[in-house]
Order: sequence, then C-alpha cells, then structure tokens
Amino acid sequence: MKNNLTRRDFIKISAVGVAAAAAGTQLLQKAEASEGPKGEHQWAMVIFQSKCTGCNQCQMACNANNDINPEMNWTKVLEAGEVNGETVYLPRPCMHCEHAPCVEVCPVGASYYRDDGIVMMDYEKCIGCRYCQVACPYDARVFNWEQFEGENPYVPQYGEPEVERRPRGVPEKCSFCYQRIDRGLSLGLTPGEDPAATPACVLVCPTHARIFGDLNDPNSQVSQALRENPSYRLRENLGTNPRVYYIPVNGTVSVEG
Amino acid sequence: MKTILKTIRENIFTPWGLWLGFLSFFLLAALAAGITVFWKGLVITNLTDLVPWGLWITIDLSSIAVAAGAFSLCAIVYLFGFKRYEPIARTATFIGFTGYSMAMLALLLDIGRPDRFWKSFVYWNTHSLLWEVTMCVGLYFTVLVFEVMPIVASFEWLRKKYPRLAAKMESAHHFAPVLAVLGLMLSSLHQSSLGAVYGVIKARPVWYRPEMSVMFMFTAILAGVSLTLLASMVAARLTDKARVSDMLIERAARVLGYLMIAYLYWRFWDWLAQTYTYEPGRTEGFHLLTEGPLSFNFWIGELLFGALIPTFILLYKPAREAPLWRMLALAMIVGGVVAFRFDTNIVGFLAVVPYLPGEAIVQYTSYTPSLVEWTAGLGIIAFGLLAFSIGVKYLHVVDHRLVPSDHEVETIAVGGTVHPV
Repeated sequence: MKNNLTRRDFIKISAVGVAAAAAGTQLLQKAEASEGPKGEHQWAMVIFQSKCTGCNQCQMACNANNDINPEMNWTKVLEAGEVNGETVYLPRPCMHCEHAPCVEVCPVGASYYRDDGIVMMDYEKCIGCRYCQVACPYDARVFNWEQFEGENPYVPQYGEPEVERRPRGVPEKCSFCYQRIDRGLSLGLTPGEDPAATPACVLVCPTHARIFGDLNDPNSQVSQALRENPSYRLRENLGTNPRVYYIPVNGTVSVEG
Repeated sequence: MKTILKTIRENIFTPWGLWLGFLSFFLLAALAAGITVFWKGLVITNLTDLVPWGLWITIDLSSIAVAAGAFSLCAIVYLFGFKRYEPIARTATFIGFTGYSMAMLALLLDIGRPDRFWKSFVYWNTHSLLWEVTMCVGLYFTVLVFEVMPIVASFEWLRKKYPRLAAKMESAHHFAPVLAVLGLMLSSLHQSSLGAVYGVIKARPVWYRPEMSVMFMFTAILAGVSLTLLASMVAARLTDKARVSDMLIERAARVLGYLMIAYLYWRFWDWLAQTYTYEPGRTEGFHLLTEGPLSFNFWIGELLFGALIPTFILLYKPAREAPLWRMLALAMIVGGVVAFRFDTNIVGFLAVVPYLPGEAIVQYTSYTPSLVEWTAGLGIIAFGLLAFSIGVKYLHVVDHRLVPSDHEVETIAVGGTVHPV
C-alpha cells in the first residue's frame, strides 16, 4: 500500500467517521438526558435559619454517626451575615442536587443518584481523580488526603458509627444518613418522623432548625414547611435543583454582610 | 563484571554519559518521591480541598499539549498530502508517544487511588468529559504504540537479535494513513475535550465558556509543532546522530507564525469578552490574571514572551532564518502554552466562588507546589528527555535523510539540501 490516500480510501475513512459520529450522537443523547431520579420517595431537608443558633451539634453528630475525621466535615455551619444585630447561620450539608454536577462529571460513575434522590458515593469504585470536588458548586465534598486513624472524638457522646470509614484517596460527602433511612424503612418507620429513621443532624438539633421528609408526601413536615413559608436554595441560578431548602429569617432571603 | 565497570568508566565522562547521569539524578529523586506519595498518600502534597488539582495536572496538560505535534503533522502528511514533512512527522510521533507516557505517569501520581486506575477503563459514565478523556488517552496511546513500532524496529540491536520481530514491527508502517486518521480523530477529540473538562464547570464561572475546548486544541497544535521542531534542531546541534533539513524546519516555522496570528486573534476576543460586565468569580478570577498573583505569568509568560515575540520572530524572515532566533521563538511558544495551561487550571481554584445568599464576596486561596510535587514533576520531565535522547541516539527519530515509507537510512535529500544546522 502506498502512502497516497486515494479517493476510495478517503470515502472509506469518512464512512467510518460517520458511523463514529452516529454512535457519538447516541452517547450525547444519553449524556444530555441526565434526568433526575423518580423514585417513590423524594427525600429533602428544610433548614429554618431563624432557629439555628450555630451550636455545631449537627456537625458533631454527623461526624460520630458517619465516623468522619474531625478535620473534615460533611455538614458545616457558616456565618451568613446579621439580621437585627443577630448573627444568622447557614448550615450546609450536601445539597443532593437533582442535576448534580458531581454525578455528571464522575468518569467512572462512582457518584450516582439513588431513586429517592440521594446523591451517593460508591467508595469502592472511585479512583480519586477529584473532578467531583472541582465541579461541586457548594464545596460539599472533602477528600481523604490521608487515612483517618485513631479515635473519633465525637464517639460515643454524639452517637455511634453506623457506616465504614472511607479509605485514603477518595472524596466523601453527606449521604442524608442513607443507612438510617434504609434501615428505618425496612422496619416500617417513616424517615423524618421516627427518630431511628431520621438523619443524625436533624435528630440532634436542639432547636429543631432542621426537618427532613418526603417531598412526594404532601403531609410530610418538609412539604408543609415549604407550602407555608417562603424558601430559597443555594446558587439556584445554576439549575442544579438542590434538595436542601432554606427558610430565611423573617421571611427575607438576602442578609446583609 | 570487570568489563562492564570498564565500559562505564570509559563512557561516564562523555557528554552522553554526563547527560544520562544528570537525568538519572532527577529520575531517582522522582522515584523516591513517587514511592513516598504511594506510601504516605497525597497528604504530603500542598493540594487542598480548595485546590485539588495543581502542578501534576499542569504537567499532565502540558505533556498532552506538546504531544499534539504527532496528530498535527500526521494529518499534514497523510491527509493533506504534504509529503515533504514526513521526516518531521516521525519525530512528532515519537514525541507524542513520549508525551502521552509522561501524562499517564503524572495522572497515576495524581489520582488518590492509583491501584484502581484500571477502573477508569472498566466503569463508564459516558456523560463525563473525563471519561471521554480517559478513553481517548487509552485508545490514542494504542494508536501511538502502533505508529512508534516501525521507529522502534530501526533499533540496531533488535534488528540483529530478533530480525523477524523487527520486520513485523516494521510492517506496521503500512497502516500509517489509517493510523493517522484514527489518531487525528482521537487526538483532536482528546485535546479539545481536555479544555471542555474545565469549560463545562458551571460552578466556576472563570472557566465556564465554550472557547475552552477550542483554546486547548489550538494551543496544543502550537506547542506540539513547536516542540517537535525545537527538539529536532537541538538534537541536530548536539549530536551527529540527528540530521535535519533546515529548510524544511524553516518552512514549517513560517506556517507556525501564521497560526500564531490566528491564535492571537482568538485570544484577543476571548479576553475581551471576559472583561464585559461583572460576574462574581469570573471577574475576580480574570483579575488574578491581569493584576493579581498570576499577572506575570499572564502578561509576560503567556502573551509577551509566549505569543507576541515568537510570532514576530517567526514571521520576520531574517530572524526566522537564523537558527538561534528560531529556536528561541519555538521554545517561547512551548513556554507560553505551558503558562497558559498552568494559569487556566489554577485560576479556577484561587478565586473561591461564594454560595452564601446575598454575599457576593469572592474569597481567595493560594497554592504553592510542595517539594515532593516538584521532585516528582521534574522526574517526569526528565523521563521525557531521556526517552527522546534514546530515540535520537538509537532510533533515528530525528533524521531528515530517511526515506519515510521504508524507514531505511539513506542519504536522500528531503525538500532541499540536508545538513546539520
């Protein structure tokens, strides 16, 4: 074969190209159709900023129940300005977005949607590339730069570990305490109502600033709270559709810094 | 044993021996650094949750960029039919192979679970740009292996010891045009989706723009062709194992000069569009480039030395015809592209976009690579230099006297007189 590219070769090669493009279109369609989960339950969290005192107990209970390194947090309590001279707090767990950038970018599918809307991590599949961290608009992921060894300072005061510690080299994040939800449902309990089936941060909050429940159930606490109060979500302009809703102080969304 | 020691003693103080010793120093240090990283984990780097991608990703992006000479020149030779550039394509292919190997080394260091790297080929999320990048790296590297086979087959030792294997490998060049088309598809997909890896990240407005993929593609072609020409010229000056046709290189360099004009045009509009209106995160990120800690990289590294001066040199005939000036310009282009990729990666992290409501205050963070990152990173570069040096010395990767289709060493002039620069 000479190195000259004949017309026939060119047509052949083009045909391969067209076939590849067709296959590519299929992939693109799949890629575009990142539809949100549509299970029987759609879990969501509602946070009353007027009730949050910034005590940080949600974070400690979270660290205990999920056995998290004390230097890493799945839920953070941030200061978000003042209203009438009082500090307003903004607790920030994972938003469990309906269109989650982390799920969309993960090359191996280690981040995925559960049918009930929880954005989950498969810690066994993850290769540790950290693209999810790069893509998350809420800084909700923390990476295991080293193995968490030794005692968890929040155990047993704030709870007992219910899940395995994650290995070094993978990012981790809030799972809405899926282990409590799943176990609760199998026992016939209602997450958000029965303590054993409710996320640790919701349960521990002394001022009941966090509530949890099923958006598909019109009588759940979260559905009611969202019906009766104005609410907002973080970086709504990105179209991620978070499942964590905030009810602002005095019904005002923006707070002055 | 004695004879081996004797050969070493006799050869160590030759330029080749010293060069190998110099590179070995960096390679051994990097080996130690790499083992430490696998042992201790990424905690010994200066990467953080706010800046999860740093120096190693820059080296990965830059190695991929300089590897782009392979597909660019293969396309020029086999698709557009400019046969005279075929000897340069041979060099470019070898550099491409080396560049992709470097990139894979950098990635292996960078991922948190190097033991699971194979999972990226087994588990697919076709929605992910990084999946696409992984597939392209894997497939294109395979193409490069086939493209490099005839080059490796020219190794004297292999020809003598395993003549049949060498002949088999040699015969891979029959597929050169097909491989060129395949490589062109995979590589251009890969180069542009590497930009899109950044361009699709909505959360970081300074990256979020469609030009990212085009810019990455464009800069890759510039850096890839520049490094190929530069490496050929340097090799020809340092060893008589490398022979170049200066006229051929000069002609290619002129084309590169025009490409630089197109790049500057593109860059200008990309730049101007970002100065319009205030957007939290994007504007702050942009200011990090124009007046912040990255401003030296941006104005001097990317634009003045990285683009304007080399464009002038390559388009001004007397300067272009002077080998030293031409080499300088080519080196500047490579440096400019590396600076562009470093800045592009880091700028998206340094300006931290807020998610608190009603608080448009952008915060800043910083990143300086740690010693272990530098050591391992320099080792990867030393690896690339070693691979290229071996290629020049034993595989005739820079030899413009070669009749390309049969890769036999013959003294036939290609595109003019042949002489070392």
